Amino acid sequence: MATPRVGVVKMASCDGCQLTLLDLEDELLALGERFELVEFPEATSRRSDGPYDVLLVEGSISTPEQAEQIVELRARAKLLVTIGACATAGGIQALRNWGDEPAWRAAVYPDAELIESLAHATPIHEYVKVDAELRGCPIDPGQLLELLTALRVGRRPQLPDEAVCLECKRLGRVCVLVAGGAPCLGPLTQTGCGALCPGYARACYACFGPREQANVASLGRWLEAERSGPGVDRLFAGFTGWAPPFRERAGRAMSGFGTAGAEASVPADGSDGVDDER
Amino acid sequence: MVTAGGPVFLPRERLDALLDLLHEGGRTIVGPTVRDGNLVLDELTGVDDLPVGWRDEQSPGRFRLVPTGGSRVFDVVNGQMSPKQFVFPPKQPVGTMQRDADRAVRFAATPPDPPRLALLGVRACELAALAIQDRVLAGGTFVDEDYRARRESALVVAAQCTRASSGCFCASMGTGPEVRSGHDLALTELDEGFVVTAGSPAGERLVARLPGRPATPAEVAQAAADVAAVRAAQGEPVVIEGLRDRLMDQLDSPRWQEVADRCLACANCTMVCPTCFCTSTAISSDLDGTVNVAERQWDSCFNAGFAKVAGGNFRPERSDRYRQWLTHKFATWVDQFGMYGCVGCARCITWCPVGIDVREELAAIAPPTVPAEQMPARPAAATPGRFEVVTLRGSHHETPDTTTLHLVPSEPALLAGLPGQFVMVEQPGFPSLPISVSRFGPDELILTVRAAGPATAALVAEGPGAQVGLRGPLGRPWPVERALGRDLVIVAGGIGLAPLRPVLDAVMANRDRFGEVVLAYGARTPSDRLFTDEHAAWQAAGIELGQIVDRAEPGWDGRVGVVTHLLDRRDFSRRPTIGMVCGPERMMQATVAVLRERGVAPERVFVSMERHMQCGIGLCGHCQMGPYFVCRDGPVFSVGELGELFGKEGV
Amino acid sequence: MTTPMAEERDLEFSVGQLTRVEGEGRLHLSVSRDGRVAAQLRIFEAPRYFEQLVVGRTPDEVLDIVARICGICPVAYQMSGVHAFESLAGVSVDPAVRGLRRLLYCGEWIESHALHIFLLHAPDFLGYPSALEMAADHRALVERGLRLKKLGNRLVAIVGGRPIHPVSVRVGGFYRVPTAAELAGIREELRSVLPEAVETVALVAALETPVADRDTRLVCLRHPDEYPMSDGRIVSSDGIDLAPGEWREAFREVQVPWSHALQARAADGVPYLLGPTARVVLASDQLHPTARTALEATGLTLEELRRNVFRSIVSRAVELVHAIAEAVDLLDAYERPARASVPWQPRAGVAAWATEAPRGLLFHRYELDDEGIVRAAQIVPPTSQNQAAIERDLELFAPAVVELPHAAATQRLEQLIRSYDPCISCATHFLDLTIERDR
Repeated sequence: MATPRVGVVKMASCDGCQLTLLDLEDELLALGERFELVEFPEATSRRSDGPYDVLLVEGSISTPEQAEQIVELRARAKLLVTIGACATAGGIQALRNWGDEPAWRAAVYPDAELIESLAHATPIHEYVKVDAELRGCPIDPGQLLELLTALRVGRRPQLPDEAVCLECKRLGRVCVLVAGGAPCLGPLTQTGCGALCPGYARACYACFGPREQANVASLGRWLEAERSGPGVDRLFAGFTGWAPPFRERAGRAMSGFGTAGAEASVPADGSDGVDDER
Repeated sequence: MVTAGGPVFLPRERLDALLDLLHEGGRTIVGPTVRDGNLVLDELTGVDDLPVGWRDEQSPGRFRLVPTGGSRVFDVVNGQMSPKQFVFPPKQPVGTMQRDADRAVRFAATPPDPPRLALLGVRACELAALAIQDRVLAGGTFVDEDYRARRESALVVAAQCTRASSGCFCASMGTGPEVRSGHDLALTELDEGFVVTAGSPAGERLVARLPGRPATPAEVAQAAADVAAVRAAQGEPVVIEGLRDRLMDQLDSPRWQEVADRCLACANCTMVCPTCFCTSTAISSDLDGTVNVAERQWDSCFNAGFAKVAGGNFRPERSDRYRQWLTHKFATWVDQFGMYGCVGCARCITWCPVGIDVREELAAIAPPTVPAEQMPARPAAATPGRFEVVTLRGSHHETPDTTTLHLVPSEPALLAGLPGQFVMVEQPGFPSLPISVSRFGPDELILTVRAAGPATAALVAEGPGAQVGLRGPLGRPWPVERALGRDLVIVAGGIGLAPLRPVLDAVMANRDRFGEVVLAYGARTPSDRLFTDEHAAWQAAGIELGQIVDRAEPGWDGRVGVVTHLLDRRDFSRRPTIGMVCGPERMMQATVAVLRERGVAPERVFVSMERHMQCGIGLCGHCQMGPYFVCRDGPVFSVGELGELFGKEGV
Repeated sequence: MTTPMAEERDLEFSVGQLTRVEGEGRLHLSVSRDGRVAAQLRIFEAPRYFEQLVVGRTPDEVLDIVARICGICPVAYQMSGVHAFESLAGVSVDPAVRGLRRLLYCGEWIESHALHIFLLHAPDFLGYPSALEMAADHRALVERGLRLKKLGNRLVAIVGGRPIHPVSVRVGGFYRVPTAAELAGIREELRSVLPEAVETVALVAALETPVADRDTRLVCLRHPDEYPMSDGRIVSSDGIDLAPGEWREAFREVQVPWSHALQARAADGVPYLLGPTARVVLASDQLHPTARTALEATGLTLEELRRNVFRSIVSRAVELVHAIAEAVDLLDAYERPARASVPWQPRAGVAAWATEAPRGLLFHRYELDDEGIVRAAQIVPPTSQNQAAIERDLELFAPAVVELPHAAATQRLEQLIRSYDPCISCATHFLDLTIERDR
């Protein structure tokens, strides 16, 4: 097999997902021998406009320039893989999609006219066809390595679409929702992180986004009944809130946030987490 | 439980001695412990690691540990983990696969290397789960060697439950609370210490070395009573009698979609279930794919991709997958392994994030055909010499030689019976009589008796207020639930209609759950027909009634002949049909032959056999027929299981 | 292409997107005929409006959100935030928890500094476009960098859950604190790499380093008892002395037309430098003895570090030693706290604090309402604050390089900019170089 030409590009994001590639410390040099990194501005001054055998794209589309750029990149990439919550679901910045973007811009920048930005920050797949995606905020290094290995071996990458719950149970982690009363979104969330947050005694906040057929309605009802009152919507207004299964509830929460005097409806003192009296 | 030296009492302050013994030979003790506020199963280094002074509060979707302020160590019934975590680990390497540069391949299976464990605090339901997994993973043609090695190397120290959690239904599933087998040692906790019994030679050797003393009868009795109280506390929320058939009849129930709307398909129920065994293999490869390690990990039929193939998905909807799980656990597991897959530990209820309760779902999807109050618990007076007293409320003649008696018991267990069961009737000074129950009423037992000898004559001669003794209800009932969703043909000859009448009662109470129902009734004469005052009601309920007599009487314009003539020109082959036949043995043989010709296979035809019975509880040996005790394995049998025995002279 | 200075033309010098820095930006230099240079750092990284995203959120939600400002230094954002909220709420955490937070920060410093020194900056000194290509000739060096970076990541992961966007930080402490057993392994590994880290100081000090000499104000935290990380007063090399929440007393943010990033300026307009050099110089007495010894062995003075920005790699290497050595000490002393966190009450008011991100002072300020919900936020990253100094240094240094071939000039200017270890997604800034020369 000829050495694949790999590109790594970044839209609006924090850089964490690209960094995950550099965080494969044990494998990085070996990867460098098997893949030709032709474009990866963070790591190399070598540049290339393509063509790419594999293009990893991080970040959401937030500016007119990026909207054009992604279309050009798609044309030059055989395989386009989105990495991370920003690229796959819009990321935390997508929460502005319910807001008044010009007003937000004005709130942050004294001279808002100088800043070019789209009204919405959206995932890559709303602009171009995506061949594969790695979820997560950030992505999981093991899943990234599996993707690259699978490309070499020629198999489909093993990226299970199952709930975080299975990994918690396999690891022997006691359920923070059932035994701790924490508002965990694990049952709705695609696995990949190794059931990280329950391992640290806190509820999953769905940074890997909704899994297939996530039954938001049912868990939402249950959490509302258990927690007597609103406050459940804001759980969905997080790093993957723009993903369609979460969008409605996230939107309801967002409409309550920006206005002055709006009630928090969850305790601000953090007592909402795992039942500390256990 | 039989212990060579009898039960031993181990004082609480000497429990450490047991742990020391378990530690011998480098064994690791695994048992319940509280870690970071959670109950887990983990290594125990000493008695202090046990959950002293804790108990659990469980309800659907909720688990809490509550301090008791006491010193008991086994008050926590169970938690999220079960022994499955250790004998069938969540992730287990199974082998390596290598492909060399010249494309040659090599496979190496990972040899079993089990840790030496002592599992401490295993509950009866968990023992039953281990037995189920033994059957599933090591008891068939193909064996999981790693599982078998782990089971063989583990010592099992059971703890009998002295309290039930709110979800427990081991009593319903027949798996507890008493510890019966599969253990090396069993402990029952009392305030002052533990009653210890052995369940194996290894256990006996351990018991002999414990710093205990023989348990007093009071201690043994207290232990038994505490465990019995657990049984009583549970009630019987799940009726497993006929459950397999009832459930498989309901594959199109609308309830599947209703529960699927609540179900998250998160797989938690399968993960915490101590018998679920579905797995998948994850491959980790080096960057070139030359060295690959295969690891088996727990998987679940609830995952969307579990039943996917290249062309599609066999169980695309959540309702498909919930139905798969419930019917596997409570129906098809029976077909696969000869036992139910559920042990009633209630973990799936507690650890479901939205609190779906299988007990509720089973009752909603596949309710029993007989009211709950009538569900058999244990037969009353089922030991030699004991009988329950009942009072005759009244009687009336059905025919010149047949009388129906209405008996009122004070023991409610006598009323909890199923169609086809019988009672042993005891009159002081007379031999015991096995009499079929012709109806289970809300507060009375109705027997229909033919006066055939002195004892029956004496019985039917009694007047209101008279008392007799009863034992029962006994025996294997008619499999009414096998007929759910199917056609049912009932063929009765003479007095044989009496044990079949409760079947008609069940059909009438659930008419829409059965297909076509035909009753073919043959009697000697029109005057010898039973229950004629009910015939109209049966027909009104949609039961097709055909009657025939050997010999007509004036005024009779019905058919004359043998009962099999009522089956002429019938074709039962078009749809699945169940047959139930009761009457003189010759009549049954003829009927079974005709039913077979008409398309009902012997496995689907059930008969009620008669033999000389004296005790009714399988101890006196009189009623043996081939390998069967008719009182205990029958009196209802399928013709298929009787095989050559049916109709054979001299057995 | 060289152009004799004698020609009466202005130059526009443009270089493509700056690489081997975090984020996206361009540099535009205008060189006038008389040699004056105007430099503009044109940040075109897309804005994500974090200061609006946290409005309506609880403090614990804010900690999760602000981590996402940066993938390299999420701990810094969580630390500045959590200290700000705790100072308003009057929370004091268990000393063991405080120690764990320092450990977390040490881990991030190790990871971030190792990343920068070995993967981003060393290739400039040794003449390679990337560390991967550098590995062909200097494999051991790159492997060392990866090994150190990996240890930093692991330390953050053990304490915080994962190296990027840790999950365990909360107001009042942590969601979960590790057991001593969980930390035992990494303690030994950190101890074992300390000699390599010490050796790295000598190595980078001996690299062929461009000369650039200028004065600069330094700003960082200063604490009486410890090397500055999360606590102390904001001080400068020339007399600024503020409580950590009072950054606005001496500094402010301004918007410049050529940048998506707000720049931060001192009230008196004088640019200032944040980061390892500022800390090493202003808090050298607080350096771990192992780090101080390594610095002294180079023979470089603090003044040399301050005046030649290209020496920042030495400051960074010294801090790498410090972070590893201090982490070892913290791990030696660790006892698992009885409680992972303490309860606290929300309060209305202003929550403000500054901590030392790997790249320098990071200031957070939140306004909270009566329910303790955030109503307004100001987040000032170190790179925003360094921008004025970067532009100044470019203007000072560019005349010496604009006459070189474009590729060589670009490489020099990028090396200069990389000396600041800029974090562009934080500052939503960075770097495509355009130098306009008036021709």
